[in-house]
Order: sequence, then structure tokens, then C-alpha cells
Amino acid sequence: MLSMSGVRKNALTLAAAACTTLFLASTPAWAQDAASADPNPGALTITGSVDFLNQYMFRGIQQNNTGFVTWPAFDLGLAAYSGDGGLKSVTINFGTWNSLHTGNTGLDGASGKLWYESDFYAVLGLGFGGGTSFSTTYTAYTSPNSGFTTVKEVMFKLALDDSGYLGKGAVKPYLAIAQEFDTDVGVGQADGGANAGTYMEIGFAPGLAASRASIAFPIKVGLSLSDYYELEGEDNKFGFFSIAGIVTVPLGGTTSFGSWNVHGGVEYQKLGTTTEFFNGGESNQVIGSFGIGFSY
Amino acid sequence: MHRTAIRWIGVSLVIALFVAATGSPAHAQGSADPNPGAITLTAGFDFANAYFFRGIPQDDTGVVMWPSGDLGFALFSGDGALKSFGVNIGTWNSLHTGSAGSDGPSGKLWYESDFYTGASLGFGKGTALGVTYTAYTSPNGLFGTVKELSFKLTVDDSGLLGAAAVKPYMVLAQELDGQADGGANEGTYLELGIGPGLSLSRASLTVPMKVGLSLSDYYEGADGDDTFGFFSVAGVVTVPFTSAPTRFGSWNIHGGVEFLFLGDRNEAVFGDSSHVIGSIGIGLSY
Repeated sequence: MLSMSGVRKNALTLAAAACTTLFLASTPAWAQDAASADPNPGALTITGSVDFLNQYMFRGIQQNNTGFVTWPAFDLGLAAYSGDGGLKSVTINFGTWNSLHTGNTGLDGASGKLWYESDFYAVLGLGFGGGTSFSTTYTAYTSPNSGFTTVKEVMFKLALDDSGYLGKGAVKPYLAIAQEFDTDVGVGQADGGANAGTYMEIGFAPGLAASRASIAFPIKVGLSLSDYYELEGEDNKFGFFSIAGIVTVPLGGTTSFGSWNVHGGVEYQKLGTTTEFFNGGESNQVIGSFGIGFSY
Repeated sequence: MHRTAIRWIGVSLVIALFVAATGSPAHAQGSADPNPGAITLTAGFDFANAYFFRGIPQDDTGVVMWPSGDLGFALFSGDGALKSFGVNIGTWNSLHTGSAGSDGPSGKLWYESDFYTGASLGFGKGTALGVTYTAYTSPNGLFGTVKELSFKLTVDDSGLLGAAAVKPYMVLAQELDGQADGGANEGTYLELGIGPGLSLSRASLTVPMKVGLSLSDYYEGADGDDTFGFFSVAGVVTVPFTSAPTRFGSWNIHGGVEFLFLGDRNEAVFGDSSHVIGSIGIGLSY
């Protein structure tokens, strides 16, 4: 009965995605007339997406091992300031990111509920010269089906868009450091450990952009600076290494409904000692995904 | 400590948004439409002293917060019998510091999260018909998910009556799975309402009145289904931050008082036949 319900939901979701794709691909002429005009010249930007995956790994930590995963996300960006001085831009973003599971941590799990994770975040972003940016993000990771306790985190991210220097050879490096807070033993921590963790991520995102599609190859490594990957009283520094290939295909250019795309990719993760343990003793993980996104 | 932090975050956000919206520099005050495209965003964040869902008591302790967001897609507009066709998708949430939230058995703030999607057809003379599917969920597990299909017929009679317009509407909702009253059978709900008001240059006042009725099993109690659920009359004042849309859209602050008179079933649950609800919030349309 449960699997039947899951099949029906899968079919409905896929049908909805297909209808949306068809609708967007067949946007009538009147909607295309605005292709050259920006439909949204104001200071608010809306982005959203829905993705489907076979596996959800949060910074290398396994979150499900059966069924499939759906990620609806929504973000509102406010361009608060732009200028020509040392500070080029100030942006504020609010958003929500969600993970719906049909498998063992969702519908088929103890709760019987689909909605595994709902994150709320707020970001203050500062843009400087030379493509450098610095952002501060507060995130509350919550679990509507009580699959985990709420994790609160502040993250700082330094990113460099080196496209201006390297053109197509740009690698867009970044460094992120995140600190968990308001924790207790086994509570409010991604690893369910004894102490609040400090996480560091270093990554690159080289890619190629063509007129009909773009491909990106994000590469990243996740490390524990302190107690982020705890296992049996020991903090293992190496969390995971990840490399992926993601193809994005725009749907029909910019219309009065903004810019839409379909995207899909494959990610390979090599796990550390703690994350391998959480992954049932398997140190390698392959994740497939596809989805639809829009920006307005 | 936790509640204090939440309040400070809420207050800080309100102040930050107020400052951002009112303190926009001159170049942001242009009269040009910041969003001429086909997608509209509306959002709100309201604070109230109690939450009744269609007259059914949910919580009257602590502070209740209602963050919400809606995306509207204008798919068609024309001059024929069908004037417009649009699709909406959105979420409405209820966060509680009282007995249904962080002070309750779950210890969790997030009492309700609703997801909805709907379509609306606009006809001549201000008449519109909408159909909406809503899933009412409880992240802190205090009620079972309720799935509902509703139809709404509205008439904007401003064109006929001008300032005397009453904007009547009718909502018919059918529960598909789960029940708002926690009763034995899925219910059918009818709401009739009007929304007269006054619009001035600096503010507007609306006086919404509505009655909620059970057509079938919507207000099930010890004595069976109670047809009369509630009657409500409210006064809501809305003050826009700016006289024209800014590049951040149109923001407002609004507040009001609602007088709620409950039917026998809801009175038995609540322990009183009436209640006064005060609310204040900010809204965005972009």
C-alpha cells in the first residue's frame, strides 16, 4: 500500500515536471515578445527549483538509503546596494530549502511522513572588486518529520569569481567555514555527536558555457575543524571529497516568466571514516539528480 | 532564552525591512513598475495573540506568527468573456510560542505549514472563480495532515458601487483526507463574506465580515454536526510605506482587531462563546 502510494506520487511528480517543461518549452509568442526586455528590472530576485535524486548526503553524512528524494527550494534576493567604491554590492537573501523522502527517512520510515527536512536561511552578501565576495549565512535546519533535531549554524563564505581574469579557464574557488551553535549532547548537530562542530569546505566550480547548454564540474572537500565528524568520541578530520558533472539547459530564453532551465548531473563522493560509518560501511557514493529551476 | 532570541530576530527583521523599505534612496523611488513581468510575489509576516482556523480554536496562549509567501503566474489576459487566467502557488505558516508551539508538548515552534496551489479565472464585471488545493500540515506533529479542495466565487463590485462596494464572496471547501475538526467524517465547509472598506491617500480601512458554516460534518461535536461554526467581523488598517512602488515593490504595515463569535461546537472546545484577536504585520507585493 505504501509503495503503491509512492509510485502514484512519483508519477504525479514526474507528470507535473513534464507538464511544466512542455508548458515552458511551448510558451506562446506573446510571452516571447518580451525576450529582449527584462521582465523584472526591480531590486528583488526570485529563484526556485525542484530536484529529484536517488540519495541525499549532507556534507558527506548519509540522510537516506532507500526511495528517492525531492528538493523544492525557493529564494528571495534583495539587491540592497550597488556602487563603484571598494564595496560593490550588498545583498540580502531569505530562503527555504526542503527535502522530501519516499524511503526509510520519509514515507517508509518510522514517522510515515514525507517531509524530512526544511531549512530556513538568511544571507548577508558583500561584493568587492575583482570578483571577490564575502557572505554570512544563518541557517536553521529543521525536520518536520522529526528525523533529526534542529541544527542552527552560522556560516562564513569567501568566494572568488575569477572569470574576469581567466575567462573560460575560471575555477571560481571558495572557502566556507560553518559553526554549529545552541547544541547539547546528540542535539543540534549534523553528526549527532557530543559537541558543537566547526566545518570547513574548500571548493572549485570550473565549467563551460555554450549557447544551448552549460556544464559545471564542482569539486569540493569537507573537513572538520572541530567536532564536526565525531564517531565514538573521536573527531575525524576528513569528511568527504566530491566531484560532479552538471549539465544545465535553458528553456526558451528569458520570457515574461523569467528564465527557466532543466538540469541534471552525477556526483561521486569519497567518504571519510565517520561518513563511511554513517553510510553503512560504504566509502564511495554515487548520486544522480535532475531538476527544473527558474530565476526571475 | 530561546523565546527571547526569536523575538529579537523577529523584531530585528521587521526593523530591517522597515528601514530598507522606507529608507530607499531617491533613485529607488521612481514611479516605473519594478516588475512588469508575469510573475507576482506577495508575502507577509503577521503577529497575533490567538489563532482560530475557521472558528476552530488552535491556540490563544503566547504569540502567534504567520509568515506567508505566494507566487502568482499571470498566464492569460484578454478582452473576451474570460478576462484573465492565473495560477498561484504558496505557503502559509503558523509559529507559536504558546501551548501549541514551543511551550507545548512538542517543544517546537512550528505548529502549521500549509502548501497550496490554485487557479483562478477572471470574468467580466469583477467576477472571479478560483479553485485551490491545500495541504495543511503540522511540522510539530500536533494535528494530522488535512487535504482540501476549495472553490471561491468573488465579485469585485467597485465598478458598480464605487466606494460603497462590499466585495462579496463565497467559499466552498471539501476535505479530501484528514479533518480540521478531528471528527469522524471529512467535512464540507461554506463561507460567506463581504469586505467593505475605505481607501484614503495615506491608509485604507477594510471591515471584513464572514460566517463559517458546515454543510456536512465540518464542525462535528458531541451532539453531532453543528451547522453554525462562527461569525467574524474585523477592522483592518493598512498603511503603505510609500505612495508609489519602489524597486523593492510595495510594502505596507497593517493591523487590526477581529471579533469572533463561535458556534456551540467551537464554544465547547474553547470554553467561551467569543474572542477578540489582535494582529499586526508587514506585507509585500512585488
